[in-house]
Amino acid sequence: MVKNVSEWTERSRELSGLLARSGLGDRAAFATLYQRTSAHLLAVVMRINRDKAQAEDILQEVFVNVWRAAKSFDAAQSQPLTWLTSIARNRAIDSLRRLQTQPQFQTHAAPSGSDREDESVYDTVADAAPGPLDLLTQASAARSLGLCMEELSALQRQSVALAFFQGLSHAEIAAQLRQPLGTVKSWVRRALLTLRSCLDGSLQRDGSRAD
Amino acid sequence: MDYGRPDLADRLAADYALGTLRGPARHRFEVLLPAHPRLRQATLIWQERLMPLSAALTPVPPSPAVWRRIEERLDGTARRASTDRPQRLAFWRGLAGFASIAALTLAVLVAVPREGPPPVIVVLAATGENAGGAATPSIVASISGDGRALVARPIVPVATRPDRSLELWAIPPGGKPRSLGVMPGAGGTMALPAKVLAGTDTLAVTLEAPGGSPSGAPTSPPLYVGKFTL
Repeated sequence: MVKNVSEWTERSRELSGLLARSGLGDRAAFATLYQRTSAHLLAVVMRINRDKAQAEDILQEVFVNVWRAAKSFDAAQSQPLTWLTSIARNRAIDSLRRLQTQPQFQTHAAPSGSDREDESVYDTVADAAPGPLDLLTQASAARSLGLCMEELSALQRQSVALAFFQGLSHAEIAAQLRQPLGTVKSWVRRALLTLRSCLDGSLQRDGSRAD
Repeated sequence: MDYGRPDLADRLAADYALGTLRGPARHRFEVLLPAHPRLRQATLIWQERLMPLSAALTPVPPSPAVWRRIEERLDGTARRASTDRPQRLAFWRGLAGFASIAALTLAVLVAVPREGPPPVIVVLAATGENAGGAATPSIVASISGDGRALVARPIVPVATRPDRSLELWAIPPGGKPRSLGVMPGAGGTMALPAKVLAGTDTLAVTLEAPGGSPSGAPTSPPLYVGKFTL
């Protein structure tokens, strides 16, 4: 598991070569790329779409797309792991858009007999998986952002964590936290701005350490 | 909406990268992305900020069937496309033929959702020292009938450097070039502002700073030029 941004960069450097060779039609390089990244990308997709069969279908789509788009990947513009993770998240979010017309999806995740409306899908499916706020805390700690992020309230952190790690929309976060939509929108915005200044500060620190 | 406004671009890009931009707005954003350097830049930066947070996730190994299905899909397309590597050179040499196939494909691509005027195909040829003999077609562009979308596709590897972007311009006779945005490297669809093509009859491509000319006017002579009539 990658813990911090320099490891992310490190892994990305190796993936750059694999991606470049995949873009030239090198299937062996593509197979290695898959081995190195598929478990991470499936984890990303499954946080957003928790149905494993569907998540694996999405993962399949992601890699078919990666194969086709590999030659357009621009290493000067983004890191491979960032590029791949973005594609996976986008696909997962798109799948939710389609699922909204298939409401039967969520029902099989809830234990039968439970009809509590406020018991959301990720409460019941979460089992041993860490919650979004835990993940954000871990991610922040790994990047030494803990202190910096403390200027946000727990609910502000929770909103951005629900959005990033569960793929929830503003409206879904508002429903989950029982808060007005406008409030949630401004919390998310505020959390993003704080994250930006914390991350940019940490990047500078990482950068100066690397020099 | 003016997507060139930095604060708006940043806000939309953050919402997009986080995933809270949803529904039609998300779709619209994705269509606009290729043509708006500022929006794209802001998105790349936000993705670079946020995606590493996913490193906190515990990896979930996919079942072996997933890779088998991917391979089947790739083998399927490889056979259909019949562009295996040994044939590729010959394939590029058959340029003229390919140009018309490409034009046809683009026409179909653009024509599918359309009602109204047919798309206009523009063939851009290399200029000056880039020209390998008489007006070599280098890029084909297809402008949708309503003038709101353009698909550009290089048909030969186009001259560029990693630290430069190819920017596409529409030029009215005797007038100032209007930026249509940065051309996606491997070609792709660009959404166009309304009426940007009105009165223009020339498409040109110049080499600019990454993300497009900062001044909004071309800073170098065109590398590729093509005439069209709307």
